[in-house]
Amino acid sequence: MSRGAGAGTRTETRRVLVVDDEQSIRLLCRVNLGASGIDVLEADDGESALELARREQPDLILLDVMMPGLDGWSVARELAEDERTRDIPVVFLTARAEASDRRRGAQLGGVGYLVKPFDPVGIGELVEDVLARIGRGEREELQRGIAAEHEQ
Amino acid sequence: MSVHEREDRALRLQRVAELLAEAVTPQEVLDAILTEGVRAAEARAGAIGVLSPDRENIELLAQQGYPGPIMEDWGRFPVSAVLPMSRVVRTGEPLFVSTRRERNELFPELPAQARSGGAMVVLPLAVEGRVFGAMALSFEEEVEFGLERREMKIALARLASQNLARSQLYEEEQALRERMTFLAEASEILSSSLDYHHTLGKLARLAVPGLADWCTIDMAGKNGEIERLAVAHEDPEKVRWASELQERYPPNPDDPHGVPQVLRSGEPEFFPSIPAELLDEAIGDDLELRRIIDELGLRSSISVPLTARGRTFGALTLIAAESHPPFTEADFALATELARRAAVAVDNARLYSEAEKGANAAQALAHVADGVVLLDPDGVIRHWNPAAAAITGVDEELAVGRPVGDVVPSWATLTSHVPLSAPGERGAGPVTVPLVRDGRERWLAISGVDFGEGAVYALQDVTDEYALEKTRSDFVATASHELRTPLAAVYGAVRTLRREDVELSEEHRAAFLDMIESESLRLSKIVGQILLAGQLDADAVELSISECDPVQVASEVIESASVHLPEGILLGLSAEGARSIDCDEAKLKQVLVNLVDNAIKYSPDGGQVTIRLDQNGNGCLIEVADQGLGIPAEEQDRIFEKFYRLDPQQTKGVGGSGLGLYICRELVERMDGQLSVESEPGVGSRFQVALPTRR
Repeated sequence: MSRGAGAGTRTETRRVLVVDDEQSIRLLCRVNLGASGIDVLEADDGESALELARREQPDLILLDVMMPGLDGWSVARELAEDERTRDIPVVFLTARAEASDRRRGAQLGGVGYLVKPFDPVGIGELVEDVLARIGRGEREELQRGIAAEHEQ
Repeated sequence: MSVHEREDRALRLQRVAELLAEAVTPQEVLDAILTEGVRAAEARAGAIGVLSPDRENIELLAQQGYPGPIMEDWGRFPVSAVLPMSRVVRTGEPLFVSTRRERNELFPELPAQARSGGAMVVLPLAVEGRVFGAMALSFEEEVEFGLERREMKIALARLASQNLARSQLYEEEQALRERMTFLAEASEILSSSLDYHHTLGKLARLAVPGLADWCTIDMAGKNGEIERLAVAHEDPEKVRWASELQERYPPNPDDPHGVPQVLRSGEPEFFPSIPAELLDEAIGDDLELRRIIDELGLRSSISVPLTARGRTFGALTLIAAESHPPFTEADFALATELARRAAVAVDNARLYSEAEKGANAAQALAHVADGVVLLDPDGVIRHWNPAAAAITGVDEELAVGRPVGDVVPSWATLTSHVPLSAPGERGAGPVTVPLVRDGRERWLAISGVDFGEGAVYALQDVTDEYALEKTRSDFVATASHELRTPLAAVYGAVRTLRREDVELSEEHRAAFLDMIESESLRLSKIVGQILLAGQLDADAVELSISECDPVQVASEVIESASVHLPEGILLGLSAEGARSIDCDEAKLKQVLVNLVDNAIKYSPDGGQVTIRLDQNGNGCLIEVADQGLGIPAEEQDRIFEKFYRLDPQQTKGVGGSGLGLYICRELVERMDGQLSVESEPGVGSRFQVALPTRR
C-alpha cells in the first residue's frame, strides 16, 4: 500500500481510498490505479473506510455499496455529514444496477457510478478525469450525470 | 186596508221568514221564496236572477209559475237590456207596474210568457247597499200597489236578499271548508311517503271525483319527453282506457297547448270552457281520435305547473267532463295551491333522496377497505372514512373540518408526487409513498382525482404487498450482486492480465489467475442455486434414490470444506451408529455443503463446526453445529423461506442469495426427511437433517 505525505498537505501523487469487502476487487483497483501512478488506500468495511477517510484525507473514494455492517450508502451519508470528509469526491463501485440505485447515489453526493463488472484498466483515467472536472467546478454536473447515465 | 188584512199579510211574511230560517242552501232559499214568498205576495209567478261575476249579465237562478222553457230561453241576458230585471239592477229601485198596457209599453221585448197576466213587481236584491240581483213577481190581475202592498213586497225582497246572501256565504264557506279538507288530506298524502311516484298517484285519486272528473300528473323527462306519472278517474275502466290512449297518442312536447305548454313555460293554463277550435286543432284529421274526444266530453280544464326552486318539472291537470260542472276561479286557485304543495313535496322527496344517496355513499365508503379522503379547495378535510382513519391513525372526529396538513403533517410530502387526474379521466395510477406512523413505516398507494370543488384521494395500505415486493427486489439486488461480483473479478482479472502497458509482477499474475478460477466457481455455484430454486418451484427436480453411506458423504463435505478454511474455524466429524440410508447422495451432499458453508460463514469469530451423525429411531440424524452468531428465536422459522435473509446488522453483513436454506429444506423434504434448527444468539446453531433409513 502506497502512502503519500501527511494529511492536510497536497502532493502531486493522487491518493484513492478503495472500499470493498471483496478482496479481489480491491486487488484489481490497487494494481490498475497503481499503473496510473495513483496511490491506493484500502478498507474492507464501512467503519474502517470512515476512519481512514478522516485520517488520511484521500483525493477520492471508490465505494462499494453491499458490504457487511455499515453499507456504502451509510458510508456516503456519514462522509457527507462530516465536515472533515464532505469534500472528498465519492465514486460508487457497485453491483447495484437499477435506476433507483443511481438516483440514490446521486442524492448522496456521488460524482461517479461504476457498475460491476467494470473495466479496471480504465479506472485510473476515470479517477483523473473526475478530479480534473471537479477542479474545473463541474461537481454538480457530475452528480447529475450519475442519475442520467444508462446502465453500462 | 183592514186591520185583519194587515195582520194577515204580516203573518204571511212571518211564515216566509220562518221557512227561510230553516233553508240552508241557496237552492232551499230559492225554493222557499218562490213557493211561500210568491204565495204570500199573492203573485201568479216569480223568478230570481243574479248578476254574473263580471256584472255584465243577469243569470236566472230559478223561477216558479211561468209557462214554457223560460230558464232555457231567458236564462241569461245583459244588464243593458230593456227588460224589467235589467232596469232594476241598473237603477237599484223597485219597479211596480200595475197594468198590462203600461208593462208592455215599458218593456216591448219582454218574453211572451211574461206578457200575459196583469201587474208586475221587480225588486232589487241587495246586501249592504250593493245590488246583486233582482226578484220578479207577476200577477194574474192588474193591481193597484198601495203603500202597504209596496212595503210588503219590499220586505219580502229584503228577506230574500238576506237569506240568499246568507246561504251563498254558507255555500262558499262549505266549499272553502271542502277545499281546506281536501288540501289537508292532500298534504297528509304528500307527507306520508318520500316515494313521490306513489304519493302523486294517491293525490290524483283523491282529486276525483270531488274536484274533477279526471286528474293527471305528468313529469318532464330528462330529454324533454313527457312522462305520465298518474291518471285518475272514478272508473278504473276509464283509467285503463286513458292509459292506452296516452300510449297511442303520446303528447308532443312541442304542442302549443296543454301539458307540454305548461311544462315549457312554467305558466298555468285554465280553460273554464275548452274552446272547440282547440280540440279541433289537437285532433286534426284523426277520426278515431275525434270519436274518443267526443266520447270523453271534455268541458273545462286546468293545468298547473309543478315548480320548485325556479324549475318546472311537472304539471297537474284537472279535467271536467261528463259529471263535474265547469271549473271556476276557486277551482283554479285550489288547483294552484295543490300544485304548489305537491311541488314542494316532490322537491323535498328528491332532495331527501339526493341526501340519502350521499348518506348511502358515506355508508358504502365506511365499508371500503381503501382510505377515502375528500378535501375542499382550501385543503380542509370534508370526508374521512374509517379506512382512512385506520391507515393514518387519526379518527374521523379529529380529522373532518380541519386542514389536512394539521391532521397528517407529512400530507404535502406524501401527495407531492401524486398526480391529480380529472374526473372520469384515466389517472396515472397510484403512487406508492412511505408514511411513518408510531415509528413504523407504512407504505401507501395514493391516487387522487380533482373534481373542481376539491380533490378526493384514495389511500391503500400496501405495506404487506410492498414488503413482498421489497423481498423480491431485494432478491434481484442480491442475485445481481452475487452474480456481478464474481463476474467483475473474472472480467477485471482478464482485462488486467491483458494490459500491455503494464508489467505485472509474477505474484500479481498468479493472484489474478487464482481469482479467475475461484470466482468462476463461485459464479457457477450461485447460478446453480438460482436454477435449482427455479426447478424446485417448478417441481422439476428429479431425485435418484439409492442406498448411501451418510458417514462417507459427511467426510467428503468436511474434506472439501477444509480447503480455503478461514482462520479460527475447527472442523469435526462425529459418527456413531449411523447406518446407511436411502437417498439421493448428491442432493444430500449439497445440503450438507450448504449447511457447513453457512456454519463457517456465520462464525466470523471462529469456533468449532461439527457434523454429527446419529441413529434416530428408524432413521438417521445428521446435525451441523457451530459456535457462531446464532439466530434469534423469532427468525428461526423464516430462515427457510425463499429469499429470506437475516438482518445484515445482526449477522455482521454476511451475504448470500437467500436461497441456500430454502433449497436445503426443499431437498430434504423431497427425500422424506425433515430439516430443523435449534439456535441461541451468541452461542451457536444446530441444523438437523432427519432422514429415514429405508424407504
